[in-house]
Amino acid sequence: MKNKQVTVMRIALSFLLVAGFAVQAVAGETYKMGLSLAITGPTSDVGSPYAKGAEDYVKYVNDEKLLGDDKLVCFIRDDGYKTEITKRNFEDFLDEEIVFYLNYSTGSTMALRQDFQEEQIPVLPASFHAGNLEGNDYIFLPIASYSSQAVGLAEYVAANHKGSGKPKVALFLHPSAFGRAPRDDVKKSVAAGLGIDLVEIVEHGKDLDNTAMLKRFQSKGVQYVISQTVQPPVATMLKGAQSLDMIAKTYGEAGKITFLGCHYGGGPALVSLAGSAADENYYWTTSYKMMTAKGPGRDAQFALAKRYGRDDKLAKDANYTNGIMVAQVAVETIRRAKAKGKKITRAVLYEELLAMNGFNAYNTLTTVGPVTFSKTDREGVDTLQLYVSKGGLFYEVGAPFESEYVKKIKQ
Amino acid sequence: MSYFLQLVVSGVVVGSIYALSALGFVLIYKSSRVLNIAHGQIIATGAFITYALTVFAGIPIVLAFLLSMVITFCLAMSVERIFLRRLIGEPIISVIMVTIGLMSIIDGLIYLTPFGSENFSFPEFLPKTPIAFWGVSMSWTQMVGVVITFTMIGGFTWFFKKSTVGISMRAVSDDQFASMSVGISVPKVFGLAWATAGLTAAAAGGIIGNITGLNFDVLHSFGIIVFPVVIVGGLDSILGAIVAGIIMGLIQQFASGYLDGKWGLFGTADVLPYIILLIILLFKPHGLFGIHEIERV
Amino acid sequence: MSENRWMATGNFFTSYKAEQRIFMTHIDRLVFICFLVALFAWPLFFKLGNKYMLVIDSILIAIVAVYGLNLLTGFAGLISIGHAAFVGVGAYTLASFATVLGTNHVLITHWWPLMILVSGVVGAVIGGIVGLPALRLKHLYLVIATLSFQMIFQWTINFMTFFNQGQTISIGRVFWFTGKVARKQHYLFWYYVILVIVVVLGLAVRNLLRSKHGRCLVAVRDNDRAADAMGMNPGITKVYAFALAGFFAGVAGALHAYLWRGVGFESFTLHHSISYLAMAIVGGLGTLVGSFFGPVAILMLELQVEHFAEFVGHYFTAIGDVATAFRPLSFGLVIVLFLMFEPRGIANWWRITRSYFKLWPFRY
Repeated sequence: MKNKQVTVMRIALSFLLVAGFAVQAVAGETYKMGLSLAITGPTSDVGSPYAKGAEDYVKYVNDEKLLGDDKLVCFIRDDGYKTEITKRNFEDFLDEEIVFYLNYSTGSTMALRQDFQEEQIPVLPASFHAGNLEGNDYIFLPIASYSSQAVGLAEYVAANHKGSGKPKVALFLHPSAFGRAPRDDVKKSVAAGLGIDLVEIVEHGKDLDNTAMLKRFQSKGVQYVISQTVQPPVATMLKGAQSLDMIAKTYGEAGKITFLGCHYGGGPALVSLAGSAADENYYWTTSYKMMTAKGPGRDAQFALAKRYGRDDKLAKDANYTNGIMVAQVAVETIRRAKAKGKKITRAVLYEELLAMNGFNAYNTLTTVGPVTFSKTDREGVDTLQLYVSKGGLFYEVGAPFESEYVKKIKQ
Repeated sequence: MSYFLQLVVSGVVVGSIYALSALGFVLIYKSSRVLNIAHGQIIATGAFITYALTVFAGIPIVLAFLLSMVITFCLAMSVERIFLRRLIGEPIISVIMVTIGLMSIIDGLIYLTPFGSENFSFPEFLPKTPIAFWGVSMSWTQMVGVVITFTMIGGFTWFFKKSTVGISMRAVSDDQFASMSVGISVPKVFGLAWATAGLTAAAAGGIIGNITGLNFDVLHSFGIIVFPVVIVGGLDSILGAIVAGIIMGLIQQFASGYLDGKWGLFGTADVLPYIILLIILLFKPHGLFGIHEIERV
Repeated sequence: MSENRWMATGNFFTSYKAEQRIFMTHIDRLVFICFLVALFAWPLFFKLGNKYMLVIDSILIAIVAVYGLNLLTGFAGLISIGHAAFVGVGAYTLASFATVLGTNHVLITHWWPLMILVSGVVGAVIGGIVGLPALRLKHLYLVIATLSFQMIFQWTINFMTFFNQGQTISIGRVFWFTGKVARKQHYLFWYYVILVIVVVLGLAVRNLLRSKHGRCLVAVRDNDRAADAMGMNPGITKVYAFALAGFFAGVAGALHAYLWRGVGFESFTLHHSISYLAMAIVGGLGTLVGSFFGPVAILMLELQVEHFAEFVGHYFTAIGDVATAFRPLSFGLVIVLFLMFEPRGIANWWRITRSYFKLWPFRY
């Protein structure tokens, strides 16, 4: 009698387990890659445009037949910024036999790096933490690491400080592995002779008000704050600084604070969050080309966004570029391997990525420099571009640069 | 000295916003004994409605602010009608879990709109120059926030002391059966409690949205921050919410002003409220102003 | 109890002892054994992908954690929204060993059953300490006290260098008699380990609830002053309930650490606490079978919603956000609908179907 129940239950259970996979039609070869990221939950303001960028570019590749008759499938899955779900997605992608994996947060990249190593699959994360490269061989950073960004900004501060003495700098960090990524490298650079006075390193909380911190900065004579965090805390800090009348009107104005930020701590999305507090004189660095930087890259990105019905705000988002760029690198790797007539496998793609240097460097149009990878250098775009906000838009300052001290402390 | 003064002023500002956020929470608890975990989501909803009215519909911001309070008033009332009316008389855990479920539902609904994953900021309508006195400064947004907070709290105090509806709400919170027997419609009072809570949440959302910018993740986390406030104040005391709100604001400011950066500590403002909460609860299990109920077998 | 222990229609007991039997009839026992055999045997016949094995393993771990939460919240009536932190205590116990001794120390890779037990004990101790406010606090104030523990736990992990500031602390691969458990067998191996633990602990809980140490929890839940009058100490009982919950959570935490081969604080946040609570409620509070149904239902729902969202996103690409919004929406709806229409959870359906078969051929 109850056996029946149990059977029914087991049938139902196995049905639940098995159901759900839509079968994809195969035409030519199909290459699969996976992307797991936070479209909901914390940092969804970054993840959502990122996902759309990758999605649109993959669609573009298939529509324009950039890989010939072969098709590229990119599984994009939301993990809500939860490492367990990232891992589940990754295992699922592996069951689907992906050849390339795109990851997202620093936390999940660090948590899964043993798996990447064991599976020998090339990975491009959205996290630019230099620590990702340690203890494994398969993670590649798309652009210059957080360390390069923060130290690069510090070098700019040291070089352009107008007042007397060393410029006093504070670091404003996210309380996580992501935020702390550049901390030690900045300290090392200062020890190696970088001409700044690192007054304080702050890890922020979920504060509604940063008055205490800002006042403390002022009393210690801090003139520059370098942020390595996400946009909301930066916006709150900038709004606080605005209400205290602390934001420097010009670069390095005496008695005021000039704010600078790394990739995720700035960009157009910051302006839409902080309003007038960020639309003038906020310095920001990234390896991506911005929408105000005229050129083929910008036009292509706009055209892509328009083609797939994206709105203007998304088209200008730096993380939309970010998503496009990682997909570009993956596609280029596949294309090159194909051009050599090789069968696309993880190992082949890995070799191809490592060979992406010298004359083989990949010029993406969306970044300020070429993507170069090698056995010793798994940071993609080595150059950074400094931007400054004017009237709510980011404009280039000077030419693309490379951080000197990061190279020095590596030796 | 001016550093200290600044911390006090900022603490009071932040604290009064906490108080306003906590007010809606207390209103619901006071009448219907429901712990509303979805409060942060309602705050975020209020802020987004204000923004949508201002920017998408082009209504002047002050009007939009008021209108969003009205809309959230109605929304919260229908939430009570649809989800919580059935649960009157169910154990506490069911009711708490329903509000947790509500939290997820509202999350899902907000992710359907652009507000879920995009950043926005209110158009600026107040002067950008800060108000400065005795070496202390605060922004106009904060100033307006404080004024609104105290107006609303004053209004509600009057409402509970003098108006018939307010008195019936207090009666229900005191004894549901007794108030039913004198002709008060208990379900109606519950609905009204939720509605007023929605109204205050929309106000809080508007103010917070102006201070931090509109990011869903930031806004809904306020639902959690108000917990230590309401518990320290006593779950059923409006006065408690105000006092505790300001205490918490001050504690957070002093923590980040004097503790952060020393002995390698950071983000103490996030954790200290909970530590203080635990300590206070050990000595006063019903909060500072909560009513100690005598229980019988 | 009728003489025929194979076929029994309805309830008929002649002694209290008979009423306390784990299996009312031999058929019950037989079905249970068959089911167990099936659980152990199916991996020999079906081959599931790693993803599904991972999902099944995490369901089993959640079952262990929900045992504890159900004892605490369902049986002892003490609501906890800090259960993930207890799970975290277990996981970080293991992680502390890994930090001090090294990731691949013999203790971690060879003596893992001991480590799981140790994590459980540490969880129990911390659970007891966190339960201390229960001596004075009641109802919602206690709920918030557990929330405070959750917050303090998160902050501590995130700011202490000893815990690698919340970054992943990796745990080495374990050894079995056949040698190192490699990636290929990893999920299957842990499936068996966790399954054994689930069965053993399930029987333990069932037996606990038959003894006075279990029933005192129910007595305190139903009326702690009456329980006091009957000679139980409600305060001690509550602390004991927290310690019990902490033990199960600790074991679950250690298993989590081994299965994921690392511990990071992101797995033990408030959100996870809420999920555990949802599992306990949807399964059915205050029932043992609820501890099985809840995790299965919630985690399977999440997976199915994900598939559905992907399916929808496949056809309506322009509304990608719609697809991702399904997950929180469905999670919330399931909780709310259950509470509104079936507050006793899936366990109640189980009870109804069981009693149908039990009373058959009569209606009632």
